[in-house]
Amino acid sequence: MSLARLKQQDPAVLLLRGAVRAYQYTLRPFIGAHCRHYPSCSEYALEALSSHGAIRGTGLAVGRILRCNPWHKGGYDPVPPSHSR
Amino acid sequence: MDQKRLLAAIAISIGILLVFDVYNRANRPDIVAPAPQASAPAAPAGVPQPSAQALGDSLTAATDAALPPPARVAVENARVQGSISARGLQLDMLTLRDYNETVEPGSPLVRLLNPRGRTDGYFAQWGWTAADGRTRVPDINTDWRVAGGPLAPGQPVVFEWDNGQGQIFEAEMRLDPNYMVSVVQRVRNTAAEAVTVLPWARIRRERTPQIAGFFILHEGYVGVLDGRLTEVTYDAGKKEATTRRGPAFEGESAGGWAGFTDKYWLTALMPQDPATRLRHSFRHISDNGVDRWQADIALPAPQSVAPGATGELSSRLFAGAKEVLLLDAYRSTLNIQDFDKAIDFGWFYFITKPFFYGIDWLFKLTGNFGIAILIFTFALKLLFLPLANKAYSSMAGMKVLGPKMTELRERYKDDPQQLQREMMALYKAEKINPASGCLPILLQIPVFFALYKVLFVTIEMRHAPFFGWILDLSAPDPTNLFNLFGLIPFDPPAFFHLPAWALIMGVTMFFQQKLNPQPPDPVQAKIFQWMPVIFTFMLASFPAGLVIYWSWNNLLSMAQQWWIMRKHEAKKAAKA
Repeated sequence: MSLARLKQQDPAVLLLRGAVRAYQYTLRPFIGAHCRHYPSCSEYALEALSSHGAIRGTGLAVGRILRCNPWHKGGYDPVPPSHSR
Repeated sequence: MDQKRLLAAIAISIGILLVFDVYNRANRPDIVAPAPQASAPAAPAGVPQPSAQALGDSLTAATDAALPPPARVAVENARVQGSISARGLQLDMLTLRDYNETVEPGSPLVRLLNPRGRTDGYFAQWGWTAADGRTRVPDINTDWRVAGGPLAPGQPVVFEWDNGQGQIFEAEMRLDPNYMVSVVQRVRNTAAEAVTVLPWARIRRERTPQIAGFFILHEGYVGVLDGRLTEVTYDAGKKEATTRRGPAFEGESAGGWAGFTDKYWLTALMPQDPATRLRHSFRHISDNGVDRWQADIALPAPQSVAPGATGELSSRLFAGAKEVLLLDAYRSTLNIQDFDKAIDFGWFYFITKPFFYGIDWLFKLTGNFGIAILIFTFALKLLFLPLANKAYSSMAGMKVLGPKMTELRERYKDDPQQLQREMMALYKAEKINPASGCLPILLQIPVFFALYKVLFVTIEMRHAPFFGWILDLSAPDPTNLFNLFGLIPFDPPAFFHLPAWALIMGVTMFFQQKLNPQPPDPVQAKIFQWMPVIFTFMLASFPAGLVIYWSWNNLLSMAQQWWIMRKHEAKKAAKA
């Protein structure tokens, strides 16, 4: 089993991913998608949590949201690859 | 597209509404006070006493019907009127002079406290438990001797009872100009032996009140104990009391306060000296299926009163309306810790409280709470304008991109995700981006939620009129599409309630949404499209003030977008 797969089964990761999914289907349709990036912040968070685990994944997602402001150019901004062995 | 048809239907409805508002006024349905519940059970049974040990059974005994009616001491200041029953020492009648039940002219005043034995019985009582098991203590049928009265600001009243065994019980009560009653309970021991008694005060509630039942509003037991906000709902309290076979909540605290909170009213007990440690309890029992509640305070341990000595407990009872400024004043003058938290300002206290001050200031300035909401929302929007402006400053470049965008849309019309990716690449290449970003949106959510929460909880919005048919901003809009806004004599069931302002909200939300980018995911996009409809129905039963705020917020969002876009067009035209 790959490390990424293992991380995905971490209960904390599952919980956090669930929260992001919940946001996508409730709050996001309500407030609209305003993201300046591809993939969007929520998609980015889902991917980061899966590939980097709960702590680093959350950190990456928070960093991304902080970047997602009118003073940042936005555009294509993928999740960095996981360097774990 | 059925969406468009729906929109047309809504638009037509609003048209009808505006035309017939005048007729509607005469036909407005009455706002009915909650119906009284079925007849009272014969006798209030034993709610556990304010002490862990089951002491003083006589207090729980039924009032003897054969006794003559009790002597009453009137309680009166500019804001309340009521009376204390000298039998059992109970403050069990209290009416709030500044608040009416409904907005109808001649509507009765709000009765906060009612005597025991009524289904809506709700009263405060002061007493003692004989911790030594032999001292005669006053009970529910004790007729106290009264010195003074009526109880008014500057006119204390002293209740006294001699137990015939050498102990004299005394309760000295004072009333302030608002909602606070101070009580000093004393036992003077003139006998040759020491006695051990436990003085207490309690608030009893003979049934679960009708609650608003919204998850953003706490109703039930509330208090600040040892600096911590403690909230127990009726549901949770019942469950806890049943499983523990004891109090639903118990805690000791130096200072602080605790009692029952309704949406707008509060009864709470607290020590006079914030350094006094007291035990606070919240109790429930089920009496033949009727829920009985009690919030009480007592000394943490019984007090031993030596011969010739006096035992004392000095406490306060608040019984009245949760007016923010009044609670603030009590908090600072009487040193009652976090007393303003009796109003459920929530997690965002640090935003909601200042928002309240802002709106209240505007309310006093304009004289209309609705107008105050509109101005305040406008000011908030203005605060966030630079953010929105910055986002759209790149809009000017969008015109150049137009043809390229159309081309992309054409090419990837079956693959929205790919289209999204290509568009982002294009933005990056052209160094423009029309979206404002997630951060500003996420920052705005708590702010607008806070405003919403303030409007929901503050008593200042109660019975505050707006324009037209809105006579009470805190009540649902009474008009209804399903009886053509009162044109046809039809009283639809509660589910079919679609008031005018909810429709206005739906329409503004629909158009405002058109300006927002859709989520790329098709399922999310579908939810997105249905949001205005869902919200129209959801907000139908919400306080009108909230729905008006929401509509206004949508309108302002649209106006802002329009203004920014026009500004940039003008700039571009000037350059060309």
